[in-house]
Amino acid sequence: MSEPEKFDLVIIGRGAAAFSAAIKASELSNGEMTIAMVGTGPIGGTCVNVGCVPSKYLLEASHSVFKPAHPRMPGLHETEVKYDFSKIMEGLRSYVSHARDSKYVKVIENYSNVKLFTGLGSFLDKKTVVITGPDGKEVGKVSGSNILIATGSHPSIPNIKGLSNTGFITSDTIWEMNELPESVAIIGGGAIGLEIGQALLHFGSKVIVIEAMDSILPQTEGEIREALKKELESEGMRFYLRARVSAVSRSGNWKSLDVITHKGNEKITVKEIIVATGRQPNTEYLNLERVDVKTDPRGLIITSDTMKTSASGIYAAGDCVSKNMFLETLAAREGVVAVSNIFGENIKIDYNSTTWAVFTNPQVAGVGMTEREFSKMNGSCSTRTFSLLNLTKASITGETEGLIKIVVDPKDNRIVGMQILAPNATDIITEGAYAVRNGYTIDDVISTSHIFPSFSEGVKLAAQSFIRDISKMACCVE
Amino acid sequence: MEKEKVKLRIYGMTCDDCVSTVTAGLKKQKGVIDVKVSLKDGTGEVNINNKEVKPEELLRNEVFTRPSHYKAIIIND
Repeated sequence: MSEPEKFDLVIIGRGAAAFSAAIKASELSNGEMTIAMVGTGPIGGTCVNVGCVPSKYLLEASHSVFKPAHPRMPGLHETEVKYDFSKIMEGLRSYVSHARDSKYVKVIENYSNVKLFTGLGSFLDKKTVVITGPDGKEVGKVSGSNILIATGSHPSIPNIKGLSNTGFITSDTIWEMNELPESVAIIGGGAIGLEIGQALLHFGSKVIVIEAMDSILPQTEGEIREALKKELESEGMRFYLRARVSAVSRSGNWKSLDVITHKGNEKITVKEIIVATGRQPNTEYLNLERVDVKTDPRGLIITSDTMKTSASGIYAAGDCVSKNMFLETLAAREGVVAVSNIFGENIKIDYNSTTWAVFTNPQVAGVGMTEREFSKMNGSCSTRTFSLLNLTKASITGETEGLIKIVVDPKDNRIVGMQILAPNATDIITEGAYAVRNGYTIDDVISTSHIFPSFSEGVKLAAQSFIRDISKMACCVE
Repeated sequence: MEKEKVKLRIYGMTCDDCVSTVTAGLKKQKGVIDVKVSLKDGTGEVNINNKEVKPEELLRNEVFTRPSHYKAIIIND
């Protein structure tokens, strides 16, 4: 038996949470902390390789094709954009490779205190991690006084008859595609399904989304998700809600799905199937029970708000942690919180002021509590929903199919939640994050200068709608 | 009194003066019985009365808090 190589900190994983933790630990220790980073797959994890980065690239390319063909201002002619899908995908892969190299591979080379190990890490005991190669054989052991689990997640595949034999793609594999499918059925109406669905739709695919719940994006406010669904339908996306795929089969180049809906059974025939039914944590192989790290029924690691697990000296961060939001930015923050607490700083993760987004067009972004969540917790709440029909900038660009909803604590007018459906919702939600994090009131937002005309002005108008009828208000009234 | 030995990995020490500063800082903390700091290993052994101070509280000692550039983590063999 080989002796383990000793480190101050062992990080299992090499995605966003792992990198963020390693860099923070290096900064806090002036580069003196010895760190082992153990993992498989491309460096950088989900976000840069198969998540946020390629999906945003694909969406932006698809909007560049779609928007000229669908002008929104008088006098602009419908213009068909010629494109080469395989070259777009080639460009996407090239950009992902560049982003991975510049933001991860080359970055970690600057930290001589961090040693990378390639292989699957699993616990031998509370201080020791065994690393195994692809053949299952041990390639080494590392030990550390503190261990951070940051192993991320992978797409979950539902148990549908015939699915594996028929073939399907996921958000992990779609980036290798070179030919635009003429038609796709997407199983799952969450953020991943809608983003990929709209990108393919904008390139010209026929897109059908099948969702088991009675709405898309169930975590969002009802008005927001309904408005987004209406917009996507107006572009040609078809939805089956409260529907379940019971079986899948292949016939030549076509794939068929048997769909059980509340109206009866239907058969859908498409060229490709995309599975986007959520993600599951990479925790199965870690031997967590051996070191008493507790997980929830989904296999996600239970932590305190300091990112400590149930085992002393073992922390967790990122998509493998039990919570409601799975975001790259949140993973990175959790990595920082875990490491800061290893250094005794006693800081806590704040899920409530974490922003989230869906990068469809229009985009959806949110922070804090929904109307329902706050009312359930406090008995009452005050809300206003502002339509972009009343926003000058949206009227000019013709992008009025959006909403800004603010949830306020009626006791003191503090903003406790905000959700936005707008072309650049992901940029302007930060105002909501400041408000929720710092306890700003609607008066704070109203008395803060906003550019006219802009989409960010919509946040101010949404705040003003608590105190006056916006439809009867002239421009720039304070 | 429950005596407990806490082993620290200490970052940022470059000379004997650093050892003196860290040692003096730890000794001032309530519940700390004695302190032994090694520049060569970058470690410290602190005997504490754990009824008066918890091991993690040593990491929040003034000597490990900004603007001090020293930092520490707990290491257990």
